[in-house]
Amino acid sequence: MSEISSLFSYFRLIFFLFILFFCGMSFSSELSNYSGPGDNKDGYNSKDYETNSLSLSDRKGKSADLIKFVTMKQLGLPKLDIPKDNPITREKIELGKKLFFDRRLSLNNTMSCGMCHVPEQGFTSNEIKTAVGIEGRSNLRNTPTLLNVAYNKFLFHDAREYSLENQVWQPILAHSEMAMPSFGFTIKKLELISGYKELFEKAFPGEGINMITFGKAIASYERSLISGNSAFDKWYFGGDQNAVDESVKEGFKVFVGKGNCVSCHTIGQNEALFIDDKLHNTGVGYAESMGLLSSKKTLVQLAPGEYVEVENEIIESVNQQKRRNDLGLYTITENPSHRWLFRTPSLRNISLTAPYMHNGIFSNLDEVIEFYNQGGVKNELLSPMIKELNLSKREKINLRLFLESLVGENINILIADALAAPVGDLTEDDPNWANKKDMGYNK
Amino acid sequence: MHLRKLGISILGAIFFVSSNMSLADETCMSPYMAKIVGQEDYVYVWTLGVEGLGDEQDKLVTIDVNPKSKTYSKVVSVLSVGGRNEAHHSGLSDDRHYLWAGGLDSNKIFIFDVHSNPRKPTLHKVITDFVEKTGGIVGPHTFYALPGRMMVSGLSNNKDNGGRTGLAEYNSKGEFVASHWLPTDGDLRGAKKEGKFADGYGYDVRVQPRRNIMLTSSFTGWSNYMMDFGQMLQDGEAMKRFGNTMVVWDLHTRKPKKVIDVPGAPLEIRCAWGANNNYCFTTTALTSKIWLIYEDENGEWQGKAVADIGDPAKVPLPVDISITSDDQGLWVNTFMDGNARYFDISDPFNPVQKYGEEIGGQVNMISQSWDGKRAYFSTSLLGNWDKDSNGEMQWVKLYEWDDEKLELSHKWTVDFYKEKLGRAHQMRFGAYSLYSSKTDNKKEVTLLDK
Repeated sequence: MSEISSLFSYFRLIFFLFILFFCGMSFSSELSNYSGPGDNKDGYNSKDYETNSLSLSDRKGKSADLIKFVTMKQLGLPKLDIPKDNPITREKIELGKKLFFDRRLSLNNTMSCGMCHVPEQGFTSNEIKTAVGIEGRSNLRNTPTLLNVAYNKFLFHDAREYSLENQVWQPILAHSEMAMPSFGFTIKKLELISGYKELFEKAFPGEGINMITFGKAIASYERSLISGNSAFDKWYFGGDQNAVDESVKEGFKVFVGKGNCVSCHTIGQNEALFIDDKLHNTGVGYAESMGLLSSKKTLVQLAPGEYVEVENEIIESVNQQKRRNDLGLYTITENPSHRWLFRTPSLRNISLTAPYMHNGIFSNLDEVIEFYNQGGVKNELLSPMIKELNLSKREKINLRLFLESLVGENINILIADALAAPVGDLTEDDPNWANKKDMGYNK
Repeated sequence: MHLRKLGISILGAIFFVSSNMSLADETCMSPYMAKIVGQEDYVYVWTLGVEGLGDEQDKLVTIDVNPKSKTYSKVVSVLSVGGRNEAHHSGLSDDRHYLWAGGLDSNKIFIFDVHSNPRKPTLHKVITDFVEKTGGIVGPHTFYALPGRMMVSGLSNNKDNGGRTGLAEYNSKGEFVASHWLPTDGDLRGAKKEGKFADGYGYDVRVQPRRNIMLTSSFTGWSNYMMDFGQMLQDGEAMKRFGNTMVVWDLHTRKPKKVIDVPGAPLEIRCAWGANNNYCFTTTALTSKIWLIYEDENGEWQGKAVADIGDPAKVPLPVDISITSDDQGLWVNTFMDGNARYFDISDPFNPVQKYGEEIGGQVNMISQSWDGKRAYFSTSLLGNWDKDSNGEMQWVKLYEWDDEKLELSHKWTVDFYKEKLGRAHQMRFGAYSLYSSKTDNKKEVTLLDK
């Protein structure tokens, strides 16, 4: 493997594995190229970099019947619990999808859920470490993926929410995300946008547009983003010995053995969500809060293969939005023993969702593995499960290959379906002070 | 020069001289525009609103700049437009009656009437559906007048907030005409990929009508230009998302012909005015170089790095540039050190810095009068890129330029924070002479006679 590693860059290897993956799949090959940023920057650290940019007009996608992924059995995934008060329907999924990509659901009509949870970027953002909200406001955390989010007992990195239906409203109303002024204003705006009343009536007959139906609609779409049947699942749960190669199997041994990753990213008898519904201190948050990651200079990339070291004093001079420290679960409980505890994320589709950790500090899986190999960052609240691992080079590579085998079989269908959804942008018929129709104040 | 090209140049020159609409004013604007050859009366400053300052919203600020006026150097009009739209660039219509100003964030385009009463512009129209009409272009940046048209360059898109984007063509009434997407590897749109890059990014647009070419440059997408600058510099992924290309277009057909590698975010484009000067300049924001984009002896357009700006290792961040009307000098502002640098470009392949002056803690835009004697400077780069202590650094300043001594002398400052206005960005000139029968435009052919 070390020879292969030296020949191919990390991302080229992923691409190679993808090709191997999808050649053996039952889905149409026309759906095999949706994953990954359309503005591909693989190899940008080299002077030999060449662009491989996709045309935006090719980003058309293809609609799919997502409800089947909610109801069908997918290898590796447990049966999905759907809230009794929000049974899933096609109408709700379609409405939720339209709302999800509607940029008019922000104060200045520029932000939708989909602007941070970018479909072809693993329903997160591969292009920035931490999310940028309305008017460029800085957010502390990396955008979490929405793939398989329906299985999460807790939502957000700090676990402050428990249901998708409720969670939906937080980014909509958050000052640093979409900044809508209130529930009522959002609902009234939707009522004034052509088409939404009818779509809500189809999805929620007789209920209209309100806080509850709005939450249920978007939650239904997010709940439908289910992706199992990965190569790993076909081998481990399906018994197909050819689904993965030996290096993946060896990597899995490290995962459950010497690496002890499985202590948090748990695996069941018949399914594996790779989460433990708990929060842990790995030292990443501690290190950032205590300035252990800082140096006097920062290496800044100027162009392909061209870097310069910049004094941090200079960077500070253009750092208007001073970052608060992120104390994780403590932020919502104020319990000092909860400092720097963050929710265990699933590892499914992990190779699609870089950068990693709650603050996006690691740009690839190799960096993540090396971090855990060194035992995290020592602090008084460090999880006792995190210890130095002393993994060999080969073990680390195999562990990465195992992680890369967790990409769901239908991932390109989910992405293509999302790309086929219309992006909602302000039209001259929508409510706005500069249009003929406004929100109706003082009339 | 080939005979055919010489003929085209002569025809072009005749066209310039004979047409009232084919001459421009301050040196960086469209050649399809009436120009002010004498004293400008007003400077219109497209200004960013700031949270906690005044009415917190973007506005068009009018400064009286006629030394004979009783209100010389004073703000005489403030027109708030609602919202912090990320006010950035503005451009005058071909008849110079209207000023189009864009919001890089909100995507609104504000069209101001500046001719009915140049002292007190009014809001004529707001285009709110720019993204929807253009099919997803985000960040209306440059507003560049073509005959009966306004070409608007975009910076981003509504799919991933990245840098792939296009040009949007409007007619003079503010009605959408067409989108022209920047070439990518996935769809080069007939262009030749000259080097290694075809990123599809956009920023500025300029033309050389004599050569039937249009040039575009490339910056970065919404996620970066709206991000806190300090945060972005420390985000390795974000720093990969800058443009490295310029595109040569066929001006008449609006088709991209060639993609040229210009690494490090080429921003402003300034084309030479001389009848036989078939070249334009740009500067790269990150790699701090002056690039010459020129037509070679075979009629091919090429790009060449021709000078460093300051010490590139210190990332001085060249921002606005301005070419003198005789094509002999190029002003280059560097944001980080607040310097204005004057380069001798008499040999366009060998620019030499002749002068430098610190204008303030930060500096961004420059607008110089046609005669080069007056240079106005403003400060704001982007809402989230300005320096942290920006309260002390947001102004418009007038300097006079002595081109024999090679020296700037400060005349006055309007402090935009003290006046509770916001952050000053792009400046455009207004003059009564443009809209009256009286004109001193007799001078206008002199440069072209050379």
